[in-house]
Amino acid sequence: MTDETQIAAAPSRDKQREARAIALGVAGWLVPGLGHALQKMWGRALAFLLIVGVLVFVGAGMRGNLFTSESGDAFAALGYLADLGTGSFYWLAKYIEVGGPDVSHAYGDYGTRFLAAAGVLNLLAALHAYEAARGRKA
Amino acid sequence: MKFHLSHLQAMLLFALLVSIAFGFLSRRRPLDRAKYIVWSLLLFLLFGIGIGWAMYPFSR
Repeated sequence: MTDETQIAAAPSRDKQREARAIALGVAGWLVPGLGHALQKMWGRALAFLLIVGVLVFVGAGMRGNLFTSESGDAFAALGYLADLGTGSFYWLAKYIEVGGPDVSHAYGDYGTRFLAAAGVLNLLAALHAYEAARGRKA
Repeated sequence: MKFHLSHLQAMLLFALLVSIAFGFLSRRRPLDRAKYIVWSLLLFLLFGIGIGWAMYPFSR
């Protein structure tokens, strides 16, 4: 291969790598830990699956407020974004929380924080998987 | 399914899980990771309990 063809092939490889990194980031968002599992980072994958899973399970069990897209104010919209961060576990939380939220008790309010923290941590993990796929973190 | 955790139990569980997540996110070697998790957990508890006591005079 000549130098010119090598130079021409480099941007194509970069694009492929970027597309793969984005796909892994999205996979990590949809299923906590999947972005790392696909890169054979088993410890991190298991840790994020369990941590996000336990936070969602306990948060929904404490009847925390799971925000929806129909929420009215800016804080509720931010809460919805944070809850959506859990990816597919958002629907798992809805399935667990059959009685609906109850923030009239303190534990319901703690549950709301647990759910939001699960989403934000999962977004951080997905971003980490994306960066790792780009070779910027390990 | 219902969990009725007290404030302290909820804080302990939250601090532990978030500390583990931070450790796995920011450190690669197991020993560094364990040290980071322990430090993060201790700081969470120190600040949580410290802020709780700092608010106590204004609670009633």
